[in-house]
Amino acid sequence: MAVLLSRLPHSDCLNLCHRVVDGLCGREPPRWADYSSTWSLQEWLELLSSLTTLFRLAVQSSNSDEEVLALLSDVGSSHAKAVLSVLRSRQEEICHALLDRTNSISSATLQDFEWQLKLALSSDKISSLHSPLLSLSLDVRDNGALQPVTMELSREELSKLINALEAANKVVLQLK
Amino acid sequence: MRFRFCGDLDCPDWVLAEISTLAKLSSVKMKLLCAQVLKDLLDEGIDYDKVTKLTADAKFESGDIKASVAVLSFIFSSAAKHDVDSESLSSELQQLGLPKEHTTGLCKSYEDKHSALQDKLRETSLRLGRLESVSWRVDYTLSSSELREVNEPVIQLKLEAQGAESGSTETTVVSVSADKFRVLLAELKQAQAMMNALQ
Repeated sequence: MAVLLSRLPHSDCLNLCHRVVDGLCGREPPRWADYSSTWSLQEWLELLSSLTTLFRLAVQSSNSDEEVLALLSDVGSSHAKAVLSVLRSRQEEICHALLDRTNSISSATLQDFEWQLKLALSSDKISSLHSPLLSLSLDVRDNGALQPVTMELSREELSKLINALEAANKVVLQLK
Repeated sequence: MRFRFCGDLDCPDWVLAEISTLAKLSSVKMKLLCAQVLKDLLDEGIDYDKVTKLTADAKFESGDIKASVAVLSFIFSSAAKHDVDSESLSSELQQLGLPKEHTTGLCKSYEDKHSALQDKLRETSLRLGRLESVSWRVDYTLSSSELREVNEPVIQLKLEAQGAESGSTETTVVSVSADKFRVLLAELKQAQAMMNALQ
């Protein structure tokens, strides 16, 4: 990795490291096309994977600055410091991403949810219905695929759901 | 002529015709028949043997029996649908030629079951999915292959919801991180507060 990374000027190194962390956190990773003049494709893949692994392992085992610098011993000191500074500033974000990954191990996770409160006015059965309904839509990520789940809740059903969640929340709060 | 119990529309011809069939029953028997029809509308189960016995005196054939049950069903459900009070229903049915004693009996039965009927209609109105049951479990993750020290709670939720088509139950099992869970609960409570403010 050392030889490869030192081909890049210091400021670009900082930039690249941030983009590698972006990729690690589930956003757009850096592209070879932007760096094709510096590295061959094979070198690029090698560098990308070793940088990603470094960031992941450093956060995973909460390494100290010295330990990280030791891992980067064969990289020039200014480049090593750049990597370290990116690691420290994005540590929390990486930790969050790893936590998300942990939660999605062998189970579907809630990605996002949306709700809509509606007042049903009338129906074919009764002309004045006047009952509130909550549409709840859950985006469930299962094995990488997003699956929408929608349901419609009446007042009673909503309070049933809230009571159940409230009971779970009590337990969660005790853990803190 | 427009009638409130028909939703401010003309009374359908078949209803008009079958009201004279009802008039052939004695008012007492018709009131008992009303009770049976209301049971049917409220899903409490109609007793067809009783219906046959009630209509035996008037020498009803099976077509007449069916017609009288159908017309009473229509009157009750349509009046409840349009929230017609029993006095208005009484005067409209008399205008349509149902004898006074018959009307009184019918309207008395209607008045007693008015709100139950409306609750039933409300309940059977179109719904796109219903929540049937919620199960949960709170886990505390200690460590994982992704992160050595996790120490975070994670909530497992199982939601059983009925789909838009009746009879299809959909089960969703999902794990929710503590942060997301808190937001979900807070927002649902917000929605509940708005829902309660509607009353």
